[in-house]
This record gives sequence, C-alpha cells and structure tokens, in this order.
Amino acid sequence: MIKIYDYILSVNCYKQRLMMSILDVPFESIPIDFYPGWEHKSEEFKKINPLGHIPVIDDDGFMLRDAHAILVYLASKYDPTGLWYPTNNPELIGETAQWMLFAEGTTNTASAARLHVNLGYEFDIEACRAGAHRLFRVLEEHLWFREQENLGWVCSGEQPTIADIAIFPDVILSEEGGVARIDYPALRRWTDRVKRIPGFVPMPGIFPVGDARPISHEGEANA
Amino acid sequence: MTESLMNLWHPIASAEDLPYRHIFQGQLLGRELAVWRADDDFVNVWENRCLHRGTRLSIGRSDGLELRCQYHGWRYANRSAGCTYIPAHPADAPARTICNRTFPSVERYGLIWSGEEPTGEPPEIAALENAETLLLRNIAVNAPLNLVLGHLANYRFSITGDPDNLATTSMDYQDGCSLSLTATCDGKKSTVVFFVQPVDSNRSVIRGVLSNSPEGAERLLTLRHHSAELSRLRDIVELEALDGPSLEPMVATIEQVPIALPEITTPSGRKAALRVQVLRKWATAEGVVGLELESIGEPLPTHQPGAHIDVHLPNGLVRQYSLTNAPGEGSLYRLGVKLEADSRGGSACLHETVKEGDVLAISEPRNNFPLRRDAVKTILIAGGIGVTPLLSMAQTLRNNKLDYELHYFAQTDGHLAFPEVLNELGEAVVLHLGLSPDETSQALTALLAGPQPAMHIYVCGPGPMLEATRRIASEADWPDEAIHFEYFKNTIEVDSSSSFEVSLARSALTLEVPSGKTILEVLRDNGIALMSSCEQGACGTCEVTVIEGEPEHQDVYLNDSEKLAGQRIMTCVSRAKSPRLVLDI
Repeated sequence: MIKIYDYILSVNCYKQRLMMSILDVPFESIPIDFYPGWEHKSEEFKKINPLGHIPVIDDDGFMLRDAHAILVYLASKYDPTGLWYPTNNPELIGETAQWMLFAEGTTNTASAARLHVNLGYEFDIEACRAGAHRLFRVLEEHLWFREQENLGWVCSGEQPTIADIAIFPDVILSEEGGVARIDYPALRRWTDRVKRIPGFVPMPGIFPVGDARPISHEGEANA
Repeated sequence: MTESLMNLWHPIASAEDLPYRHIFQGQLLGRELAVWRADDDFVNVWENRCLHRGTRLSIGRSDGLELRCQYHGWRYANRSAGCTYIPAHPADAPARTICNRTFPSVERYGLIWSGEEPTGEPPEIAALENAETLLLRNIAVNAPLNLVLGHLANYRFSITGDPDNLATTSMDYQDGCSLSLTATCDGKKSTVVFFVQPVDSNRSVIRGVLSNSPEGAERLLTLRHHSAELSRLRDIVELEALDGPSLEPMVATIEQVPIALPEITTPSGRKAALRVQVLRKWATAEGVVGLELESIGEPLPTHQPGAHIDVHLPNGLVRQYSLTNAPGEGSLYRLGVKLEADSRGGSACLHETVKEGDVLAISEPRNNFPLRRDAVKTILIAGGIGVTPLLSMAQTLRNNKLDYELHYFAQTDGHLAFPEVLNELGEAVVLHLGLSPDETSQALTALLAGPQPAMHIYVCGPGPMLEATRRIASEADWPDEAIHFEYFKNTIEVDSSSSFEVSLARSALTLEVPSGKTILEVLRDNGIALMSSCEQGACGTCEVTVIEGEPEHQDVYLNDSEKLAGQRIMTCVSRAKSPRLVLDI
C-alpha cells in the first residue's frame, strides 16, 4: 500500500489525499509533526527528503517527493481511464503541464500566505497576497471563458485533470492566508465543481458543497 | 452621496452567477451579501452572516429551499430567511425572531438588482428593452465608483471584436452609477451600457451589457475583446486610484436580532396577527379541501415542519390547522381541511362558505410538534387527515436527504390527501388502505417492533389510533422521548370540578381557581395574558412551567414521563391535585 508522509493541514499533502481518494487508491498516512514540531526539517526526515518538504510517497519502495510530481505519478499509474493525466493528447498534456506550473505559482503565493498566517513561516505576506491576486485574476478570466464554451475545467477537455487537483487546494484555502475570493465568482463556481467530483474528500477548512443538478435537467454544464 | 446610493437599485450579480445550488458572495456599499437562487427560482439576497456566530453564509450549503450554515448547521428558509432548525437544540422550534436580514431582488437585463433601501424599480434602459442582449464579463476594480465611471466615459471598442478596428463612440447618457455608449462603424451600430456597482469606498465592479448579441464565433470574439479592453482600463484606473486619497472602507450597519421575550398581549385570548387571501381552494381528496393562503401584507413568517396556525373563520370560530408545505416552499401556507361529519361549524365553514379570493385572519405559525433532524431514521405515521403536519415533515426530510418513511393509513385511494405530493415523495410513502382497527393495530405493532437508537416516530391521526400507538410503543419499550404525538383534539374527558389556588411567582399574585373555570380563564380575568390556541389540551400553546405543587394533567399534549415529572402544565384544561400550584409567570 502507498505510504504518504503526511500532515493534515498541508495543502500539498491534501492534493495527494484528494487524488488518491478520487482514484480510489488505498493509502496509509504517516503523520509528520509539521507544526509546531518542524519534524520535516529534522535530520531524521532529511534522510527521506533532503529538501525537508512533505509530502513524500513510498509506493512499495518507490520514493517520490514534490506534490505536483506525485500527482503525475499517481494519475499515470492508477488512473486506467488516462483522463487525469492525458498523455495520449499532445495539446491537453501541454495544457496540463502549463497549469501545473501555474499551480507552483498559487502554492508559492496563496498557500505561502496561509503558511505565514497559520503555521509560523516567515514570508513577505503582502507580496504573497498581491501575487495570489494577480494569478487569481488570470484564472478567473480563464475559467469564465471556459464556462462560455460550456467547459468547466482548467484544461480544455471535458474532464478534470491533475491540474485542477493541483490548483484547487491553494485556491479554496486562500482566505486563511487573507486572500479573499469575493472578486472571483467564476473561480468560486469552479471550486463547487471540483467538490462535486466523485470521491472528493474535504480537509479542515474545506467544506462539502450542495448537490449538482440532477442528470434529468441536463444542459447546464456549469451547474 | 452614499446616502443617495443607498436608495438606488444596483446590480450585484449576473444571473449566470447563480447556478444550481451555488451561493454567490457579493458586496454592495460595504455590506457583504449571500445571494442564492432557490429551487423555486426565487433569488435570495441576504446579509452574508449567520445569526449565530457571524460565519459567512456564502460558504454554506443550499439544499434548494433552505440554506445551511457550514459552522453549526443553523438552517434558514428560502424567501423569508427565518431560522428553521438549530442542530444544538434538535427537539426545539427556533424562535420566530431569529430571522436573517433580507434585501429585495429583481432580475433585469441578465443582472440581479438589489439595494440597501432602494426606492421604485431598477432603471429601465431603452437600448436594452426587448433587445437580444449580451452580458460582458464583469470586471472587479480596486477603485472608487466615480473614478471608474470617469474612465468608462472614454471607453472605445470594436463592433466586430477586432481590436484593430476601434469604432467612434458617442455617449447616450451618464448618471451617478451608469452610462451608455454607442459605437458606429461602417454603418453598423452597437450600444454598450455599463453599470458600476459600488462595492466599497475603493472597490467597484463594472457590469457591461451589449444591446446586441453576435452569433457564432463573433460572440466569443466580442466577449474576449471587451474583457481585454476593460482589463486594460482597470489597470489604468487602479494605478490612478493608488495616487488618489486613501478612503476609509464603508461600514455596513448590522442589525441586532431582537431577543425573544414573551409577547405582551391584550387579555382578549387568541390573536390573529396576519391577514391572508385564499389563493387557491380545491378538492384534494374525498371530503378534504386544500387551501393555499397568501399574505396580503408583509411576507408570511417562516414556518417549520409540524407547525400549525389558528384560522379565524368568518363565523367567529377559531380552528387550528397544520401547514402541509415544507419551509422555504413558496411564500404561502398550504392547509388540508377535512369536513367533519359532526362539524360544529369550523370545517363546514371552510368547505362551504370560504372561497378563493376571501380574506382570512390567521395567527402566526406556532410549532408544538417540532421535527428533529438528527435522527438516523424517522418514521412518520399518519391516520387520515393527520397526514397534514407529516407531509411538511416528509418534504423537509426529503429535501435534507434524511432517511424517513411516511406510513399513511386511510380508508381508500380516494381518501389520500395531496396525492401530487405523495407522488413526489415516491418510495418513502407506504400506504395502508382500508384496514380495520385490529388490522391497524397489527400494522402499528409491526412498525414499532422494537426501539432503535436515534430513531424517532411522529404520529398524527384520530384519537383511538394515537392511543393504540401509545400503548403499542410502550409495550415495545419505546422511550417516551422518541415518540411524538399530535392530537386533533383532546380525547380525555376533562373534569373541572376541583378548586385550588395558583400563585404566580413572577407576577406576585395569588388567585383562586373555582370549580368550572380553567386556570387560563382565571388568569385572563385578572388581566394576565397567556398565549393559547386550541384551548382543549391538545396543542401545547398555553403551556406554563410549574415551580411547586402537583398538577392534575388532563391534556394529551404532554407524554407520560413529562406528566409524571410535573414540571409543565397546560393551563387550558389541567388543574391541581395539591391545594396550591406555584407557576412561573
């Protein structure tokens, strides 16, 4: 079974738990005392990941670190549909890579602001927040136009990809870092859609959402 | 200026911002709003704040007719925003005063309009009337309203969406919050109307509507063109706003919820605070009419499943009827009234005299039959017209996706009231038709085979059926608190021959209750007002807390353990075994 070096309040660990839950992959969580213990910075843990970051997964001896790399691995190995990481479609895989890099941006701004506020990290909080808003504006416009084409996800396919999973936690927890989402209505609607993906699991600070429109009332892809 | 903005209608969202079961987070003049479209298409604009702990309702959940706060699960009804359920007090009905602040809403030109205290109607824009309009992407700007409007006045755009082909524009009008520009190019015209929403002193949203809607690829091209041009304008405005004076954020006043104090009433008895009109009257089953009552004044107060109202009839009689619709379902009350064979004039009057369009006086809804929403499973047992409060409960449980069954005992198919609602409830409804009393007892025995943890039973029907249920449940060891009864009328023969003394602890008054008079009557004779409704020991409205003394219970509202505890008394029928009762009034 996959082991994940995990912390309940970490967005990057949550990305893996969410992905594994959606793909219905059983896993064992090994809790790391991230705060206030700084266990991920301990000499002991640096033997597992010299960068001193979580998550790290151990899939039957195969070790992998870095949240977005793990998503690539999980989707490639455990998604028989091939939709979450669409390697057989050059445009889509390109877009997926592009938005995975965008997710690095949201992690380093919105989620960094949250680390600063909640978990005692020292960052330039105003720069983090301004950076998050800059990215959210881009994503807001992008998702609004997706809706105009009756599409609901970050990449241009009809199905969500690992890019949605990579960006969603940074967005949905942004208010904890003082980055309000009131100016991003299309972004808020997209978070509702992500929460309705079968297998969705919450974490502290992320709540479930109301139901999707029943199938019999088809025709509103945005619902 | 803020003053006048308070009296205007402003667009606060676009219609497409309110997809199915989504809760939109908005803001106007410093006040945050939770905006959601209910399943009946009503657009709710509420203060974005749970009355309990102030949590934003925009992170809550909508189940279509109620919105549930994410924090401690308080529920609020569609339209009225009245609180319908507090999970920490699952057995109690929330006070009517717990009602969130609502703001008016109107849909026009694809936008949702609201305001603090708007007068009149939202503006009518000639260019947008009867036009195939196209809503532009709204643009949030960190700049004050006037600055945004000033820049929009010089906005240039291309009719075809081609950025290299900007047209000459002329201004059609400009007022304090909006302006209209018409572009002309190669003989073609296009008008764009911009409404600027004053979000806060230094924040605005530009909402643009085109008076024509291009087809096919040009539609997307046009939308992208305006999105890009307006984003450019935003960047310029924001830079300029940074150089401007720093403005204090607007402060929205948050109204306090009045603390629920007992109503001070005149000692004249039952009150009929509301006036309603009979919107619809129809035969819903053999001997049963359905009545829909609509307010002719203020919107009707929120009701909860299990609630009833007093109906003051044209012939002077007062009767109680349960509301059959679920909270949040329409701004009306729906009743089912059975013509009683031995009617003393109540049901006969509603059947024969009252017609559509008539005005009736009714009380505010009271709930002495509250529904818990924390049961693992709920069994509703209806006998005949006793189905009425249980229909409201069934629809609520269905909307909340809670596990329940509705067992409906009736003579024949034709006696089933509100068949359209039963159809909608589907498989949760189990019919028991044409059973003899013995067969009914057998069916009840099977239903109540053994108590189960966290299972609750609600029963409403004729007296003998309720008595049988009470006996069967007690034999099967069901705890009293898991079985809830609602009686149509008292089945106990009331003995009013005793005489005793009541001391009123809070009023510092001692009164003599002679034989032949009720406690309620004696209190009223002495100028002490008490709420009452059925006045025959069935509904629970005139309940009072007993501080000292032993009550002689003659009601059917309290269950056996509550009667044994002797801490509450129904003052309309019950009396004292001890020479003196001390009451908490």
